[in-house]
Amino acid sequence: MTPPLELEQVMLAVELGPLRLEHPLVDASGTFDLLEYARRYRGDFFADFPYAAYVPKTVTADARTGNPPPRVTETPSGMINGIGLENPGIDAWIGGLSEWAALRRPVIVSVGGNSPDQYAAVVRALETHLASAFAATVPRLEGFELNVSCPNVAGGPQIGADPAATAAVVGACRAETTRFLLVKLTPNVSDVTLAARAAVEAGADGLSLVNTFKAMVLDRETLRPFLGNRTGGLCGPAIKPIALRMVAEVAQALPGVPLVGMGGVISGLDALEFIACGATAVGVGAANFTGFEAPSRIVAELRAELAARGFASPAAARGIALDA
Amino acid sequence: MTAKAVDDHAHSEQWAETSHCRVSAVRRFGAFTAFELVAPRIAGKAAPGQFVMVTVPGGGFLLRRPLSMFTVHGDRAGLLVEARGAGSERLAGLEVGETVDLAGPLGSAFPTKGVTNALLVGGGIGCAPLQYLADELVTAGANVTAAFGFRDFRAARAAGAFAVERLWVASEDGAVGRRGTVMDVLAELDAPPNTVVYACGPAAMIGAVQRWTLEQGLRGYASLEAHMACGSGSCRGCVVDTTRGKLRVCSEGPVFALDEVRP
Ligand SMILES: Cc1cc2nc3c(=O)[nH]c(=O)nc-3n(C[C@H](O)[C@H](O)[C@H](O)COP(=O)(O)OP(=O)(O)OC[C@H]3O[C@@H](n4cnc5c(N)ncnc54)[C@H](O)[C@@H]3O)c2cc1C
Ligand SMILES: Cc1cc2nc3c(=O)[nH]c(=O)nc-3n(C[C@H](O)[C@H](O)[C@H](O)COP(=O)(O)O)c2cc1C
Ligand code: FES
Repeated sequence: MTPPLELEQVMLAVELGPLRLEHPLVDASGTFDLLEYARRYRGDFFADFPYAAYVPKTVTADARTGNPPPRVTETPSGMINGIGLENPGIDAWIGGLSEWAALRRPVIVSVGGNSPDQYAAVVRALETHLASAFAATVPRLEGFELNVSCPNVAGGPQIGADPAATAAVVGACRAETTRFLLVKLTPNVSDVTLAARAAVEAGADGLSLVNTFKAMVLDRETLRPFLGNRTGGLCGPAIKPIALRMVAEVAQALPGVPLVGMGGVISGLDALEFIACGATAVGVGAANFTGFEAPSRIVAELRAELAARGFASPAAARGIALDA
Repeated sequence: MTAKAVDDHAHSEQWAETSHCRVSAVRRFGAFTAFELVAPRIAGKAAPGQFVMVTVPGGGFLLRRPLSMFTVHGDRAGLLVEARGAGSERLAGLEVGETVDLAGPLGSAFPTKGVTNALLVGGGIGCAPLQYLADELVTAGANVTAAFGFRDFRAARAAGAFAVERLWVASEDGAVGRRGTVMDVLAELDAPPNTVVYACGPAAMIGAVQRWTLEQGLRGYASLEAHMACGSGSCRGCVVDTTRGKLRVCSEGPVFALDEVRP
């Protein structure tokens, strides 16, 4: 065993592709809203923002009202959600950018859609806006995350379950941007490396995984599906072991591709486990619902877990769970 | 009035940070348990109708439970809990000296400005936020009448948790107060024309109160329930259908204008 380090000997900074992150933790899309927290915070939340980068909720070309309620409930060691990508559409979204231009962290824009054209339209709209916007009126939009894996929208199977369809979406977006391009993979497949490889071959710079597992919860009394959408996406600690396995499989199959690992991260040790399975950055989703302080607590715990094991940086621990 | 008035009120102060609060008093009333907690920051900011997100102690639960502010006295925040499932059962079992984590106050408050006659209509655990509301209205000099309905004897013993001067109680089995529902109480009341109605309870009750209020030519507010994840506007998990589209119970609500909700 390596001897432990002092906390201050651990340098948490990581490089996710071209993005320089102060530490490995980012919020998982859809679970953390900068402006909503800023409204409910005493100080300057933009300055005190706890994540190293901000991933807002998925935005689509047109406004979506989302699924009928109820939309969330707790499950054993986790939760299910069927929000249905409720969002104002890319035009209104761009209209709101100036409200949070003061955020100092890099932003990774999560993009959704039903076809390659719809994804590309969102990326194009943003690139067009950025090309002529005053710098002080826009946040640091430095990357995209193509969400091909939301289990909660009607109309056919998830794009991310089909490697060819995934590649088509990536190709269409790659043609619109030179910024860092992540693809968020679905775990609802038997071999996650197929879509992962297709995404990278079509031009993705990195991969995020996992999104939620398609699942169902029944109303205890009526024995009918509880969620308004009937099915939803399962996340939280219950999915962590599966997510770890999938991150490790992708890291093994595509060495060198930057990965954002997520699924059930509640503690610093959970985050370190994703790093050990090959992740460069780690997404935190449901843990945000346990309390406002969750992200800063997890960052502090990650530092302590690295120090206790004698790792001077996340990079030193990265991939140690993988086969040699 | 409505949408605009509630919008103004949606800007009641909200607070996402967590406070560690010691339980300073516990009293059990039938199916309900009343708590007081030492919570200076929350008590100092709260307004009637707002709620807190409460961490279920013991670590076995992922999501926090939304609970209404039941009372506020100085630095003490009161909660009233009915055990309905595993999480609320654990919360109902808290004892003096234990510590719980609360985030709040959250959500919109009941508008009270300029109200001279108030009618508070509660069903079951939905009566909880109406105590704090009654206290504030009485302090402001309003005439307050309350009509609370309960299912059965065990629930109706909870009526003892409330201190409202003009309180009419109904229980479905007739064990306490009038036999019947809160609507039977309303049918017998003479509400002055400037009465403002405040309702909290099961969806069916809110619907009936909404119809009654419109028939009487009155206006009012309803506090709604929804399953929540973040409790603070981030996840869009708690939406309900309203005449203004889908709105979040945790941030645009829980208090809405009575004529805009679709129970
Ligand atoms: C704004 C608001 C104020 C409330 N105020 C009070 C109060 O003052 N006193 C009180 O006893 N109860 C109140 N409730 C209801 C209370 O939140 C639920 O009874 C409680 O969450 C049930 O948790 P459980 O673990 O016992 O139930 P379970 O059914 O095991 O919980 C599973 C999941 O569903 C959620 N859930 C279940 N029932 C409800 C419900 N009726 N409303 C919202 N979420 C639910 C839980 O929070 C949890 O996430 C309020 C709800 C809301 C939305
Ligand atoms: C309420 C909720 C909303 C979500 N919305 C999105 C979304 O808009 N886009 C997306 O890519 N993932 C979304 N997700 C999935 C999360 O980003 C994350 O991939 C998943 O929850 C697993 O991480 P966790 O176990 O830490 O929550 C959502 C999850 C939840 C719980
Ligand atoms: S519970 Fe998350 S938005 Fe209301």
